[in-house]
Amino acid sequence: MTRRLLGSEHAAGWLFVLPAVVLIGVFGIIPIGWALLLSFQHNDLLTAPTWVGAANYRELVHDPVFRDSIRRTIIYTLLFVPISVGGALGVALLLYRPIRLSRFYRTAVFVPVATSTVATGIIFNWLLDPTYGIANFLLGKVGLGPYGFFQDPDQALYAIVAMTVWGWLGFDVIIYLAALQGIPQDLLEAAELDNAGRWGTFRHVILPLLSPATLFLIVWSTINALQVFDEIYVTTRGGPLHATTVLVYYLYNQAFELFHAGYAAAVAEVLFAITLVFSIAQLWIGNRRVHYTS
Amino acid sequence: MRRVLLLAVLAAAVIASGCGGSGSSSSGGKVNIVLWHGYVDVEGKALAAAAKRFNAGHPKIHVTIQNYGNADYALQKVLTAIRGGSYPDIVYLYGSWAANMARTPKAVDVAPLIKSDPSINWNDFWPAERQAVTVGDKIVGVPALVDNLALVYNKKLFDQAGIPHPTADWTWDDLRAAAKKLTDPGAKQFGWAYVADGSEDTVWRFDALLWQAGGDILTPDGKHAAFNSEAGVKAATLLQQMATVDHSVYLDNGNGNYANLFNSGKIGMLFTGPWDLSSFPDVDYGIQILPGDVNHNTISGPDQWVMLDNGDDRRNAAWTFLKWFTSADEAMRWSIATGDLPIRASQTQTPDYPKYTAKYPGIDTFVQNEKNAVKARPVIPTYNEISQAMGQAIQAVLLGKAEPKAALDQAAQQVDQILAQGS
Amino acid sequence: MPLAAVMLLPLAWMLVTSIETLAESRHFPPTIVPSGIHWENYPNALDSAPFGRFFANSLVVTLASVAGNLVFCSLAGYAFARLRFFGRDVIFIVLLATLMVPFQVTMIPTFLIVQHLGLVNSLGALIAPNLVTPFGIFLLRQFFRTLPIDLEEAARIDGCSRLGVLFRVVLPLSMPALATLGIVTFLWTWNDFLWPLIAISSTDQSTVQLGLASFQGAHQTRWTLLMAGNVVALAPMLLVFVFAQRWFVQSIAATGVKG
Repeated sequence: MTRRLLGSEHAAGWLFVLPAVVLIGVFGIIPIGWALLLSFQHNDLLTAPTWVGAANYRELVHDPVFRDSIRRTIIYTLLFVPISVGGALGVALLLYRPIRLSRFYRTAVFVPVATSTVATGIIFNWLLDPTYGIANFLLGKVGLGPYGFFQDPDQALYAIVAMTVWGWLGFDVIIYLAALQGIPQDLLEAAELDNAGRWGTFRHVILPLLSPATLFLIVWSTINALQVFDEIYVTTRGGPLHATTVLVYYLYNQAFELFHAGYAAAVAEVLFAITLVFSIAQLWIGNRRVHYTS
Repeated sequence: MRRVLLLAVLAAAVIASGCGGSGSSSSGGKVNIVLWHGYVDVEGKALAAAAKRFNAGHPKIHVTIQNYGNADYALQKVLTAIRGGSYPDIVYLYGSWAANMARTPKAVDVAPLIKSDPSINWNDFWPAERQAVTVGDKIVGVPALVDNLALVYNKKLFDQAGIPHPTADWTWDDLRAAAKKLTDPGAKQFGWAYVADGSEDTVWRFDALLWQAGGDILTPDGKHAAFNSEAGVKAATLLQQMATVDHSVYLDNGNGNYANLFNSGKIGMLFTGPWDLSSFPDVDYGIQILPGDVNHNTISGPDQWVMLDNGDDRRNAAWTFLKWFTSADEAMRWSIATGDLPIRASQTQTPDYPKYTAKYPGIDTFVQNEKNAVKARPVIPTYNEISQAMGQAIQAVLLGKAEPKAALDQAAQQVDQILAQGS
Repeated sequence: MPLAAVMLLPLAWMLVTSIETLAESRHFPPTIVPSGIHWENYPNALDSAPFGRFFANSLVVTLASVAGNLVFCSLAGYAFARLRFFGRDVIFIVLLATLMVPFQVTMIPTFLIVQHLGLVNSLGALIAPNLVTPFGIFLLRQFFRTLPIDLEEAARIDGCSRLGVLFRVVLPLSMPALATLGIVTFLWTWNDFLWPLIAISSTDQSTVQLGLASFQGAHQTRWTLLMAGNVVALAPMLLVFVFAQRWFVQSIAATGVKG
């Protein structure tokens, strides 16, 4: 009986994932394999490529802009992920209550996510303009600034963090809202009976039950943060003075502006490795600390 | 095991793509060619009208025009198309891509065509255009657009500040003095604007200043950087002084805000080209040649129609179209409709030329200024890297993060390395 | 809440820009109060290109992607969440890993594959790569694991097949997660720009985003038309979102978190 069950469980498992594996295999894995091959070539995508073994990788080690872009990408990620996920948790809890206009607020929070990156870029370019932007205007009223924001090499990356958190917070919020649906009412009532208080309920009931969603958001946000590109493309273009040159921007520049596609692929492979390490670490920690079924 | 399977599928895909090829498309004697462009608005309509006229007058050829979206993305799209084996016959590309396009065997070398068919009147095109498409022995495109940088200024702001309008004899000192006078921090008004994002936009304006001071970008043999000469340092120092000492320059971060600001009367002067004029509906602007130093050199930024090889029939059809489209009469028609500068010197002699200058006030200055576009940027595959090195240096100077000589020297070192490595 | 104001600022700006004149849009700082309401920007924008066709195309592609994702991600997500099978964790990491290489690198080989399948310049090119994403699989896996397993076990004991358990027990309990996946897939496919740019070259097959890009010329952007177009493009997504909120709020009144 057990053996039969186990046998059919394997088959069932494979059948269930088969369509996904096939589709992702074709459209996801094969292109990645191609990219790996590309990283061992000198290839400008126009003429015949030449195989150069690990030359691209060796060059990467000595490339100061590349090393700096790793540093910047990681700084960006370490700021973006906690702020957006933590902030989203706070907002989701606020929106979860049956307050007036909650539907309106929820839609409002979602709007930045639905707005195209182009529009977002235009808005932030204006908001943060050192001379004419509203940000400096308001800050001036309380005696702060004026700040260079996108034009100051020391501030640009943080301005990008602000812009992307703004653009993505709503996304995390709706994930959390969906997860909050799954919290059984009796647990919350029991906590109340135990005089747990709001903070206690939060810490011991809600937070653990939200942990699967939290893990998902952390892994997902990290993967995305390490690949941030669009927002930088429509504002600072990697500047000023490379202050916002993150890995994917550097890669894009190498491939499509300098015609070094092989080198760009090598950068992509390093990014891939970094992302893989982060994700596996997070999933492993998650497996031990995340609370699944009740 | 998986790896082997992966490689096998990969190989199959690559081989299959090679067999894709480009079909010949002559149906019933008619040759169909495809043209990719990024024109919208007035220019888009003008192009559609031109295509229609051509098709009507040439029954054996049919040209289909397709908008590829934004010209900024054109390169990615074209590269993918070429790799995929199905690409258009003519494509509009920025001049900065010419040197790299010349390397693909799919790009048609127009030089033999010009030799065998002098009716295109090649030398009638402005020198800057011809330079921009010549990569070594190959000529990789037919001129599509030419422009140059001139001084565009707000007449009202000048009058308000009591400064006489710029003349053709203006020097750098005049520029600096006027910018200072036109700057009013209280009113958030700047005398001048400069695109400071480190891109080619930053570099090419500097190039004009460099040439005006008698300098060059590279040494004549093309093997070393020359922009860190005395002339270059002089030019960079002017920028530094105006930006960090006078604070008379609005530093645009590449998103084109300077145009809107100029239109709102917040900026006194711009170094810009004819493409920006339609963005200034609210300003009574004047146009003058650039203020100079040793000379009044300007810089031109031509774009071209690149022909891609889809077989003899289609190539000949594409050549016929381009010859027709860039003929003096058609080109004049185009200029009148769109405001683009004439791509041929002889256009200034056509009977319709006065119509053009009447429709676009001040445009004649730009046309005459084309004669000042004596030097051109190097048309080599590594130019983009050189541009980035220079751009970073100039940006650093503008932001006050580096001294002109040090920044240029560092960039020159990088450029020497780039040139030594080849591509 | 002031937060809402911050979030809605862009929409407000887009609306304002879409109803002002072109000259007004060429101001910086931007005109906040336009001289009049120029509704004609909307029909002008929509007439400049076959937007009706674009909308239809975008809709087809998006709905197909949403449907595909809901089905395939549910199947795979459930398998990863509940079933034990050989190589499960490895495959999961591999699928997730495909998210880790930036699209700028993979887009050319993806194009070659699509071409090999004969799908270039067709809506199929836009649908096929988006039928299932590791994102959706990961999301549903996490969600499914939070459900109490007793219900599923009971159903199995009652003789229900695994597929039946999925469809009759698990999915009905997962509406919030499914709604989320649907919304997000809709959002991404609707807003996708770079891939359609490369895969599609004829106007007949273009999507709304490609159409909007035509308002951005090489040297100039027609802001008023672009924003009008953007507002219209945004509308379906907001509609979908508002509509789908039904599945979010089902338990709010029930749980009544106090505080």
